[in-house]
Amino acid sequence: MPLERWRDVVSLRWRSLLRRGRVEHDLDEEIRYHIETEIDRLIDAGMDAGEARHAVLRRFGGVDAVKERCRDTRGVTLVETVAADLRYAVRTLRRSPAYAAVAVLTLALGIGANAAVFSLADGIMMAPLPYADPDGLVAVKATYPGGGFEAMRREVRTLAVAAYAEGHTFTLTGDGEAVRVSGTLVSAELLPMLGVKPILGRWLRPGEDVAPRDRSVILSHALWKARYGEDPQVIGRSIDLSGVRREIVAVMPHDFDFPSAGAQVWVPIGLEARDTPRYWAGDFMPIVGRLAPGATPAQAREEIRAFQARVPALFPWKMPSDWNRDLTVVPLREAIVAGVRSRIVVFLAAVALVLLVACANVANLGLSRAFAREREMAIRAAIGASPRRIARQLLTESAVLAAAGAVSGLAVGAAVLAGLKRWLPADTPRLAQAQLNGRAVLVCALLAIVTGCAVGLAPVLYALRLRLRTALESGGRGGSGGATGPVRRALTIGQVACAVLLVIAAGLLVRSLYRLSRVDAGFTPDGLVTARVSPPESLCADADRCVAFYRLLGARLAEAGELRGAALVNTLPLTGAVAKRSLEIQGYTVPAGQAAPLVSMNVVTPGYFRVMEIGLEAGRAFTAADASGSAPVVVVSSSTARKYWPGHSPIGRHLRFEGEEAWREIVGVASDVRAHDLTTDEPDWIAGTIYVPHGANGTLEDGRLPPAMTVVARTPLEPARLAAMLRGMTDRADVVVDEARTMREIVAGRIAAPAATASLLASIAVLAVTIGCVGVYGVLSFLVARRFRDFGIRMALGAQRAHVFWAVMKEAAALCLAGVAIGVLGAAVLTRWMSAELYGVSPTDPATYVSVSLAVTVVTLAASVVPTRRALGADPLAVLREQ
Amino acid sequence: MSKPPDLVQGTLDLLILKILALEPLNGHAIGLRLRQVSNEALAVSDGSLYPALHKLEQQGWLNATWRTTENNRRAKVYGLTRAGRRKLEKETSDWERLSGAISHVLRLGSV
Repeated sequence: MPLERWRDVVSLRWRSLLRRGRVEHDLDEEIRYHIETEIDRLIDAGMDAGEARHAVLRRFGGVDAVKERCRDTRGVTLVETVAADLRYAVRTLRRSPAYAAVAVLTLALGIGANAAVFSLADGIMMAPLPYADPDGLVAVKATYPGGGFEAMRREVRTLAVAAYAEGHTFTLTGDGEAVRVSGTLVSAELLPMLGVKPILGRWLRPGEDVAPRDRSVILSHALWKARYGEDPQVIGRSIDLSGVRREIVAVMPHDFDFPSAGAQVWVPIGLEARDTPRYWAGDFMPIVGRLAPGATPAQAREEIRAFQARVPALFPWKMPSDWNRDLTVVPLREAIVAGVRSRIVVFLAAVALVLLVACANVANLGLSRAFAREREMAIRAAIGASPRRIARQLLTESAVLAAAGAVSGLAVGAAVLAGLKRWLPADTPRLAQAQLNGRAVLVCALLAIVTGCAVGLAPVLYALRLRLRTALESGGRGGSGGATGPVRRALTIGQVACAVLLVIAAGLLVRSLYRLSRVDAGFTPDGLVTARVSPPESLCADADRCVAFYRLLGARLAEAGELRGAALVNTLPLTGAVAKRSLEIQGYTVPAGQAAPLVSMNVVTPGYFRVMEIGLEAGRAFTAADASGSAPVVVVSSSTARKYWPGHSPIGRHLRFEGEEAWREIVGVASDVRAHDLTTDEPDWIAGTIYVPHGANGTLEDGRLPPAMTVVARTPLEPARLAAMLRGMTDRADVVVDEARTMREIVAGRIAAPAATASLLASIAVLAVTIGCVGVYGVLSFLVARRFRDFGIRMALGAQRAHVFWAVMKEAAALCLAGVAIGVLGAAVLTRWMSAELYGVSPTDPATYVSVSLAVTVVTLAASVVPTRRALGADPLAVLREQ
Repeated sequence: MSKPPDLVQGTLDLLILKILALEPLNGHAIGLRLRQVSNEALAVSDGSLYPALHKLEQQGWLNATWRTTENNRRAKVYGLTRAGRRKLEKETSDWERLSGAISHVLRLGSV
């Protein structure tokens, strides 16, 4: 098309679109000119005026029809009719605010929940890790001590490797009150490998993780802010961490959280080959790596496996044959989110179901409206609206609803996501990354479109069906609309089924949570308050001073009036702290290819079993004499006794820790305690649990007494009061008292994740049931409206009200039972995917299935009582008169 | 109000273009001319003319100006654009080819 024509066409369209008034005026004038001129012509030819006008108009055809056809040629009519449709849709929706509100609210909740959970899943599982070239980062699913790591760093070619060890705590002294800080040991290459630059200072240099050149420390942003007031001069300063002077070399950005949120310092791992126990049996560290250029993950896996085959030979002792047997190399992101993946998938599935229920609901509502507006549609069809035009009108209405739903859904989604981030446990990996992002907005818009089509479809099909009917034959008399019945019933059954499925899933999680909260952990957490006491490192380097310090503390605790018993322990159950020792048992030979039993060593004061209310199954607890005595004694746990002295009493037998001269005599057997995890007695890498009295013989692997001890006290005091009391008792300013909390809080922390999962899914299920009930209410209202005349006639003929009532309720019960049956079947198939989230409950737990089925049945039937009662209000006379 | 059934689709457009090729005219005058040249054989209702004119205008083959006539009325006067002239030439040759072919076929039958 030549340019000039384009210009003309564009300006014409522009004119017709924007200056519609002017264009309409021109059209009127043009046609008026024609008619008047023609009339003049005929009058001139001798006709009288009235006759002439009549003839001209007849010849012309319908003036309005001609105008309409002229308008049709303008090419912008599509835009105009859409605008008109939109205006009309908004106007009709405003006329029925209840319908519009329910539909938009339903959609907003459905879309909002989806946008929020999608954002969460996206942030946690899909978004790239906040590190340089994150696709090249892998995790080696195996752990190595310092010696193993150094060998790997030297020998492996396809992968650059770095090691870290979490969960260390240090006492930070100087520059104010002494505090305990949590820290992660890192090898020198870790930060450069992740590519995260410090905001101040530098990365560790190669070799800076080897003793004695390992005296550096990197601060977290939070610690830098809290302790040093964001002082930029802090680089190069020396600080004291657990008695070691270290130079601050860097401050990390505030969002750096590798390997997990909460680390306050990063400290070099301090490799030292001469320190054999620590070098070969200290921290067994996870390994992260970056693929060498050109190397594939499969090659890296092969090379690491080959390395694993030869590394045991480097150890100064024989390593068990099954050590690192399940070694593999996976992308780092996968390793980080592995723990939450199944939970997120459950959430995604749950909100998708909610959206289905919401869509079915709005479609049902739309059908009811189409039914109620049957007469309006029939009239519009009769005066010339094409079925396509009516369909477009109805689709526009759905689109307006969907758009309103999407916009409010975004707002709901933002609020829900903010709530989720507060609700989910803070240690959920990458939680901070989740935000209502562009992709979620896109998904939200897509959902709106899909929902709009889904919701629009039913009324449109219905409207098109009208064409088959003689226009006003039966319109609006309430005797028709039957053809949509099956569709509506199917939608309702589907809704009930989805709701049942969700409630069963939530029910299983809640039951599982209940089981978990009722687990007998082997001690009585209620009424226990705990706090950790950490004297300076130097004090416990000297065994006599350390014992004297804690003995004095113990004595003062015993005198304190507000305590009904107090004791000390090095590793408090369920806090993640473990002191590992290799064990030698008299008369027991370690099977070939296996390591000596690795046990958890608990150093306790004599009152520990009594205060914790840990039962003694045989023998006796420790006495004050054991603590100071020369004859070393131990108490073993019940499962340890069964494992190594099956069928015999271990009392009087002997054992010792590796590297010890003297044998220790077993004087008691204590009940098992779930110290590591509420769901299992002992993790598989722990062979047993041994209790040792605190005293000169209670030394750890490094030959020293445990530097920090945790006080457990039976007391009604607040944790903060206990901490204050302890500070008063120690008489020293350099003793840190922290981690003051109740034992209940510690237990609750262990079930925070399942609790959040269960309550979140329960909320989703309640949402689904609520929306589903609105659906059941709606469909029954429809059925009742459809048969209103029927009921009226029946009652006029003498039918009992109760009879009519039960007729409707029977219909409701049929829908409900069909939905429940399908939901139960679906749950039986689908809930097995969430068995990883369940504890002590089978995915097909009959009690849950039966109670949920009953509850949902009762709720849906209750929702159907109101429309049914309305059926009874049918006044026979009024109904018949309407005919 | 229906479209003239006895006009081959597009014929009305062609006639309008042809008439306007001689001189610019208003809608009423085009209607009169149409009746004259076809000896009333083309039963076009006057109203049908206007959608056709508007369509041709939208397509850029006609342009329109408002003029005051001798009896002091404002009339919309249509004229052919350059594109309209090209369109007319093309349509004319198409029509001649088509009608020639059809007459040829019809003559075959009568032999």
